[in-house]
Amino acid sequence: MLTSIIDHLLADTTRISLPLFYPELVLCATIVLMLLVKIFPAGEKLHSFWLALAGSLLALGLCLWRPGLSQLATLERQELFTGMLVFDGLGVFLRTLLLAFLVLFLVLTKLTHLADREDGQDFFSLVLGATLGMCLMVSANHLMTVFLAIEMASVPSYVLAGLVKGRRRASEAALKYAVYGAGAAGVMLYGISLLAGLLGTAHLPTIGDRLIAGQGAAGPGLDSGVLVALALAAIMVLVGLAFKLSAVPFHFWAPDVFEGATAEVGAFLSVASKAAALGLLIRLVAAAVPNDAPTHLIAVDSVRAQLVASSSVELSTFAPHKFLSIALAVIAAVTCTFGNIAAYVQTNIKRMLAYSTIAHAGYLIMPAAAAAQVGGAGMRDPFAAILIYAAIYLFMNLTAFAIVAFLRNSLGSEEIADYAGLWRRSPWVVVAMVVTLFSLVGIPPLAGFNAKFVALYALVAAGGPWMIALVVVACINTVISLVYYLRVAKVMIIDTPTDEAETSPAVSTAAASYLLVTTLPMIILFLFPQRLFALAQAATASLFG
Amino acid sequence: MSSASIIPNLLTLAWLLPLVAFAVICLGCSMVQRRQGQVPYELQRRAGLLSVGAIGAATLLSFIALFVWLGTHEWTGGAHGGELHPNGPPRYYADDWYSLVEIGSLKLTLGYYVDALTVLMFAMVTFIATCVHVYALGYMHDELHEVTDHEVNVRGRHLHRPGRFHRFFQYLSLFSFSMLGIVIAGNLAMVFMFWELVGICSYFLIGFYIERHSASTAANKAFIVNRVGDFGMLIGMMALWASVGTFSFGDIPQGDKVQPGLFSQLRNESNDFALVPTVGFVSPQEESADAKYPGYWLLTIAGIGIFCGCVGKSAQFPLHVWLPDAMEGPTPVSALVHSATMVAAGVYLVGRFYPVFTPEALLVIAYTGCITLFIAATIALTATDIKRVLAYSTVSQLGYMMLALGIGGWVAGMFHLMTHAFFKSLLFLCSGSVIHAVHTNELPLMGGLRKKMPITAYTMLVGCLAIIGAGLPIAGIGLSGYYSKDAIIEQALSFAKLNGPHRVLLLAPVLGAVLTAFYMFRMWYLAFVGPPRDKHRYDHAHESPRVMTVPLLVLAFMAIAAGWNVGPLCITGLLESAQPIGTAVGAKGSLAAALTIPAESLSHAPAIKQQAGLWAFGAAALGVLLATVFYCWKVMNSSEVASTFRPIHRLLLSKWWFDELYDWVFVKPTLAIGLGIAWVDRRMIDGLIHFLARCAKWGAGIVGSIFDVRVIDGAVDGLAALTWGGAGELRKIQTGRLRQYVMFIVLGFLALTFAALGVAFAR
Repeated sequence: MLTSIIDHLLADTTRISLPLFYPELVLCATIVLMLLVKIFPAGEKLHSFWLALAGSLLALGLCLWRPGLSQLATLERQELFTGMLVFDGLGVFLRTLLLAFLVLFLVLTKLTHLADREDGQDFFSLVLGATLGMCLMVSANHLMTVFLAIEMASVPSYVLAGLVKGRRRASEAALKYAVYGAGAAGVMLYGISLLAGLLGTAHLPTIGDRLIAGQGAAGPGLDSGVLVALALAAIMVLVGLAFKLSAVPFHFWAPDVFEGATAEVGAFLSVASKAAALGLLIRLVAAAVPNDAPTHLIAVDSVRAQLVASSSVELSTFAPHKFLSIALAVIAAVTCTFGNIAAYVQTNIKRMLAYSTIAHAGYLIMPAAAAAQVGGAGMRDPFAAILIYAAIYLFMNLTAFAIVAFLRNSLGSEEIADYAGLWRRSPWVVVAMVVTLFSLVGIPPLAGFNAKFVALYALVAAGGPWMIALVVVACINTVISLVYYLRVAKVMIIDTPTDEAETSPAVSTAAASYLLVTTLPMIILFLFPQRLFALAQAATASLFG
Repeated sequence: MSSASIIPNLLTLAWLLPLVAFAVICLGCSMVQRRQGQVPYELQRRAGLLSVGAIGAATLLSFIALFVWLGTHEWTGGAHGGELHPNGPPRYYADDWYSLVEIGSLKLTLGYYVDALTVLMFAMVTFIATCVHVYALGYMHDELHEVTDHEVNVRGRHLHRPGRFHRFFQYLSLFSFSMLGIVIAGNLAMVFMFWELVGICSYFLIGFYIERHSASTAANKAFIVNRVGDFGMLIGMMALWASVGTFSFGDIPQGDKVQPGLFSQLRNESNDFALVPTVGFVSPQEESADAKYPGYWLLTIAGIGIFCGCVGKSAQFPLHVWLPDAMEGPTPVSALVHSATMVAAGVYLVGRFYPVFTPEALLVIAYTGCITLFIAATIALTATDIKRVLAYSTVSQLGYMMLALGIGGWVAGMFHLMTHAFFKSLLFLCSGSVIHAVHTNELPLMGGLRKKMPITAYTMLVGCLAIIGAGLPIAGIGLSGYYSKDAIIEQALSFAKLNGPHRVLLLAPVLGAVLTAFYMFRMWYLAFVGPPRDKHRYDHAHESPRVMTVPLLVLAFMAIAAGWNVGPLCITGLLESAQPIGTAVGAKGSLAAALTIPAESLSHAPAIKQQAGLWAFGAAALGVLLATVFYCWKVMNSSEVASTFRPIHRLLLSKWWFDELYDWVFVKPTLAIGLGIAWVDRRMIDGLIHFLARCAKWGAGIVGSIFDVRVIDGAVDGLAALTWGGAGELRKIQTGRLRQYVMFIVLGFLALTFAALGVAFAR
């Protein structure tokens, strides 16, 4: 009996789970290798960057060519490691996105000389470790892995934020980030334990089924006390996610951390961390909202029929997913508005971009609110909208922070005012920056427009007063954001510098070509969006069978 | 490779070559200009050659495509009597290259629709464009050095400016690309895009001498008047889009399925290819009232809407006012853009869109054409500017084409479009040659130039003979205009026989033919015959260089021969094979029941043919005779006649007061309203906006400084003071802030909970 269970487990792990887990395994191996190599004298001469790059490229390649993007639409949903993780289209899409970003990010740090030859391995192992945690976040299928993955992604990030030794601001940022993160993690853990205790399981699909069953008359039935406790637990879990997404009112760490940390780390935190948190958000919303997923263990249709039949007033007004939708909508609206307004008065470019990422977190949460409202297979389009937005956002924010990093190296300043007259020194950098800023606002013909369009389209398609109000909020916010983004462009192009002495280009050719590589997708993805849209659609397909 | 792939590929390449030339010239020269301050003239000349090379290669490709088409397609090769499409429906190739946007069911694509008409238009447009490009190399050579513009005074002196040879060819290339884009376009949305693109090219080219006030006003006028027409076109597009749900002309293959296009939805085989509105056109009222012809009104309106765009572009009444002013552009532009190709695009679109027009819409088209041809011909009688005579003649000839299309003569109208393109570009280039020699546009300052510039004079004579339709009706042979104009009058006769009340549609073209002959020969006599009226200009006149006369000779040959049946090349035969399915059999009006559009084959009946031939010949002969009496033999004095019919002369001389009318009815009120709105804008809205901006700034200031500094920092400071009992040395900012931050986690959680629970339970 016992042996058969062990045999089964072993077979499950080695035959199914591990092969689908190769990219993460490669990351693990790379970290170990980087640290080991430094023991040998010959290894000391090797710059860890090359090892890290090779490892992440290999992981990305495995992600692309093993069952990956090409078969996204036909991918079969598989639970790994006895249901702790799940392998499906959403995971593959986001994992590819994260690893692609990792490669671009590593190249950026090389170009800006962030990590030196001697202790580069520390930096790179932190980055790879955080990415590993993020990969787990997007394929988490169990509340325990949810928590572990978030922590695995967060802890290296705390260290990364304080990377520049001896700089007080960086250390301050790291400490703030760590303590704040610990607080948020505590709240989230409390919520998780409440959820698991109330529902008797921590397995996400099972939680979904219990929630549906709880609403029906045929189910065990949840009295209103339990419902309130469930709502509390949901909000607590949301707090943990909101911290990762830097959503208001859990954003307080973001401006200080982004200002204190280097611009490269800012790019990492704002893009990768956010993409992973969004993946997790999608998973949690998909689990909590009734849908047609085949994984549900009980006959959903009969339960739903009974649910409609027994339209008891209290239950229908307090359907968990409606509650979730409203909570997300409120968070999104407040986050977006707060981020945009606070960005107005910033004089430091990194602080401004920090508020900009807060605002974009608002836009990104909006489709999730729409998804929670519509429920069922109708959630596909909003989720696809989030994925499209995240993919486009990757290029926008990476370019913005990369420009800040390059300019820091040559100008020695991160104040917006010091960018005056840059147009004359390096026109192409300014072009890249203006393209990025316009794309962040969402002006065609740039991909940011597509991102914002699909997000708002999902809201309109969902309908209802809350969603329409959200659309209005988002549109007003877009107008507001125009001002502070364009102010940067204005300073770069129109303002005259205080001293005319410098006329040499501000960035090297390598840096300029890097910017070209990250800027072009913003135009290409506007002109040829079909492929990305199709991928995002296919990625969400396997969520609902 | 099959012809299905080779022809569209060839045409696509021909279409894109001018774009490449444009991009290279535009980017290259602006880079040089940025670096050196001015583009060297040698480089400008090379830019011109590049442009000529691109269009020349495009011509070659177009003709290869034409011959491939001739070789691979069955077609009737000349008149085939009453038979209709003996080889089945006309062949076409259609597909999409690129999908621009796909939102819901709205699909905007770039695609092609290639049939015999497309191939023929490509050959014609590229051929004429090449002639004009080559001619312009000579005509624009003034721009290859410092230019002194005698028509512009800056502070009492003539304007000096650097030459802009490259700029001219850059726009010319962009224009060629845009024009070919209209011709190859596979759907209405793409037509509209390129429609606007030729509009902007026309704007640039009319305003080429931007420093001249008249040129920039004329460019504005052309652009704005065209927008009026485009407004109607947009309405038509919306009606079609909402009702049929697609913009594409032909059936687009989609995987293994076929997406039916406009034409096949409106004329499908089950209805015997007759025009039947689709379900989408039927309004709920019509459905409930059980209307006799459901959806017919909307279809008619959609057709007229599309035609409105054509009215603007083809300078038809009442939007014809922009074309004569457009002659402010350099003469090669007038020849290419404002006579042969762009203004013909409106006619082309009516022809392309022919399957969608109901008989009622066609009647509107016919009357518009009829009025236009008559009014323009009368104005041309008194014009003294050589280019304006030709401009009004262009408007008049475009009216002929519209009239022909409106009364069912699809082949006649498109045929006249082709022949007119050749002889009108010839006439314009000749006039350019004259202007080049005598440096004036005014006919009263010319005279006797025949001896000084024989090639120009006799090629222009060929053009005049072609436009009046000179030919021998008994032998059945003549210049190109003879065939096409006779075809129009035949169709008009056949139409008038069936529709008594609309007899004016026959009278106008015949009368117009008299006027055409008169004003064309008046122009030729005034310019080339008789004693020179301005001795000084006459002495300085000389024949143009060969780079200008060779295109004249080539075009003169085409003006003579374009109508002939030579071997496999016969434009009418090819056009007949392209005639849209279901339109050749004629139609009967539904709303206007008495209206009958006759089948075009009926007009080939010998009785009609002979009668029409004699009328056309008589009209042309009468016109030439009158012109000769007045201006060659001088038997009668034209100024005496003018003073006898003084009111009419004044009416014609001031162009029927259209410009003044529009000025009073539209321009002045618009300006007045504009001033009023500007006042409101400046005084009231700006104030409001400033106020709002101040509010926003103030709000941001509060959030930024007060919230950030006071609430957070202040609370931090206060809290730190409280917590640490004012122990200043321990008041590390980080520690204080952090406590605050972590407190906010709890506060935020509580706030969120209460807000969400409140909302949930409140409902």
